[in-house]
Amino acid sequence: MSNLNSIQYFIPELFLTAAILVLIIVDLVLKDRKGHIIAYLTAASAIIAGILAYQQFNLPAASLFQGMIVVDSFAIFFKILAAFSTAIIVFISLDSFGDKAEYNILLLIVTLGMFLMPAVNDILMIIIAMEIVGLMSYVLAGFHKKDLKSTEAALKYMIYGAASTGIMAFGFSLIYGLTGHTNLYDIQTALVNGHANPVAMFVAFMMILGGLGYKIAMVPFHFWVPDVYEGAPTPVTAFLSVGPKAAGFALFIRFLVTVIAHPTYGSFGSFTQNVQIQAPLLLAVLAVLTMTLGNFSALNQKNIKRMLGYSAIAHVGYMVMALVVLNNDAFGAVMFYMIVYLFMNFGAFWVVESFASKLGGEEIENYKGLGYRDPFTAVSMAIFMFSLTGLPPFAGFIGKVYLFSAVIKQGWYILALIGVLNSVVSLFYYLSVVKSMFLRQEDENVPIQSSLYHKVLVVIFVVPTLLLGVYWQPIINFTTHSIGIFFGK
Amino acid sequence: MIQLESFLIISAIVFSLGLFTVIYKKNAVGILMGVELILNSVNLNFVAFSKYVDAHINGQLMAIFIIILAASEAAIALAIILNIYRNRASVDVTQLDEMKH
Amino acid sequence: MEANQILFIAIALLTVLSAAMVAFSNKLIHSAFALLATFTGFAMLYVYLSADFLAVTQIVVYVGGILILILFGVLMTHKIYSTTKKTAHNSLIVSLLGGILSAGLILFIISKAPWAPLLAKGFNPTTAIIGKEILTGYLLPFEIISVLLLGALIGAIYIARAEDK
Repeated sequence: MSNLNSIQYFIPELFLTAAILVLIIVDLVLKDRKGHIIAYLTAASAIIAGILAYQQFNLPAASLFQGMIVVDSFAIFFKILAAFSTAIIVFISLDSFGDKAEYNILLLIVTLGMFLMPAVNDILMIIIAMEIVGLMSYVLAGFHKKDLKSTEAALKYMIYGAASTGIMAFGFSLIYGLTGHTNLYDIQTALVNGHANPVAMFVAFMMILGGLGYKIAMVPFHFWVPDVYEGAPTPVTAFLSVGPKAAGFALFIRFLVTVIAHPTYGSFGSFTQNVQIQAPLLLAVLAVLTMTLGNFSALNQKNIKRMLGYSAIAHVGYMVMALVVLNNDAFGAVMFYMIVYLFMNFGAFWVVESFASKLGGEEIENYKGLGYRDPFTAVSMAIFMFSLTGLPPFAGFIGKVYLFSAVIKQGWYILALIGVLNSVVSLFYYLSVVKSMFLRQEDENVPIQSSLYHKVLVVIFVVPTLLLGVYWQPIINFTTHSIGIFFGK
Repeated sequence: MIQLESFLIISAIVFSLGLFTVIYKKNAVGILMGVELILNSVNLNFVAFSKYVDAHINGQLMAIFIIILAASEAAIALAIILNIYRNRASVDVTQLDEMKH
Repeated sequence: MEANQILFIAIALLTVLSAAMVAFSNKLIHSAFALLATFTGFAMLYVYLSADFLAVTQIVVYVGGILILILFGVLMTHKIYSTTKKTAHNSLIVSLLGGILSAGLILFIISKAPWAPLLAKGFNPTTAIIGKEILTGYLLPFEIISVLLLGALIGAIYIARAEDK
């Protein structure tokens, strides 16, 4: 589609860009009188952008700006998710950064990047969209300027992030050489019709996995996670564990179904590899490594943010496991899991964020006796922990059922078994938090007064975690409708 | 006439040197230099393929955008390094003591 | 052998050897100056690939911008970490293994020559085509990257600015 015609399909992104510019001006005009206005405006812009994206849901899928990006229901689903997670993060960080205009503007720019990431249709747009999200995340991770831990987290994240992007770009340059195209659909056509060398394709795929794996924190590109998750400000950690990761998964899926495989229309919902490079087996090995390493490293962590960081790696493992089968069931399962994960993970991080000062730290030790000091928060935290483990009747269980069933349907029994065993391992460290809250007491249990704001946000996260565990059909309908992936230039 | 392979070999060597630098050096600025080597080799690949394989000049355009990205990466990296420098210089008093001797 | 090819080999040697110096030099400041030669070498290679505009951009942005930033960074970090001005290193063997492995893999691929069919293209000026492409086919990346630069500007200023309170 030509540039001029594309603009009408590009309204959510245009709105976000306009909002970014307006917020910068508002910040200049208001100077020191602004309070939390910028934060509220940011949340409002994110929500409006999400609604604008939702309105495109029933439009026919098309490619925009001469094949640079596409608009289809798959991309729109992840755009809504991105907008929603940004809006929530603004409220989670209201106390720490509500008055910092730069923080909120950078969040909106990341959101723009996350709107582009699921929609990319060109190698160049992949690199640019990932860099927008990446560069802004580096700054956000180091937003506590005076805190040495936060700054070092930013430095580590930045330096290795830049290196992994470079390696990914090298992989893309090899694919460009193999096919002579930069458009993903053209690449797919060239690969299907040509006879690309499997070794070259495999090496290019490995290099690209370096960049994508870094973004979604997949082993062996996960090494930044513990330090960055511990050092970065808690709201940023929560954001990194959901928002950019969801966008990264969307990009990963789109890359897999265009460059690595193509849909076979004879048997609906399944994909065949363009070049036989054993991509499923490779992904299966990486998935097993990711979840096992994440779970076993989480076992003996003392810091709760570090523990949640390792557990986030394990959850990436479960989701990569579903990608192994490369069909629509798996993509639907990943999308559903992403929604569930958003609520339970944000909930856990919100408790950590709002209680860090009240409990005197972010160590698991600090949580002892919380069940007697603030039962409401402690029970909610326990629900998040059980849901993250994947115990029924919580939402995490349903999410895992869909992931595992997608894998089992295609006959990857051993993979599913390893996934289940890993969930059992994860029970130990999630339960250690619950144990610390309920089974251990301090000498005197001073009740903690938590604000209404804290309680409202906790309820917002707890209710979906419980509800999606017993009644999930509407969400599944929504995700199954959202798997329309557009192929074309 | 110079072959496509000559350029690809140069780019492969520089890429590997960049990767080596990233793994080998511990200093942040040193690693950043390795990243710049990697990005330059990527650009050389794109431009070479653009000349020999692509009917258009998509590869050259890719290279231009990658140069812009490299510049913004370097700017943010330097800002973060500057901030660490400021924190260390003001926080680490023992180091200031040592330097008197 | 033509003069053209001799010149090419000289440029290739300059690029590769200076890149090696960046990697192996013990003093960061030496690495930074070797980087100058590498960047210039790449610019000259671009001329051989009929990328005139890109060659100039390489000189202006890399040598004029990024290298200055890196030099600035080198001069700062010397003060923090050590008085001997030597960089701390990770294990040489592991790093060498990584480098040699990647070089071997890529060179193996190059030896297979699996590329798309080769075309014969002449030496033509590219500036006009690039200008036209940026405002037509590459309009979206061009506009989006301006948002990225805006974000990088805000982020870098916020991080580097001294608090005046």
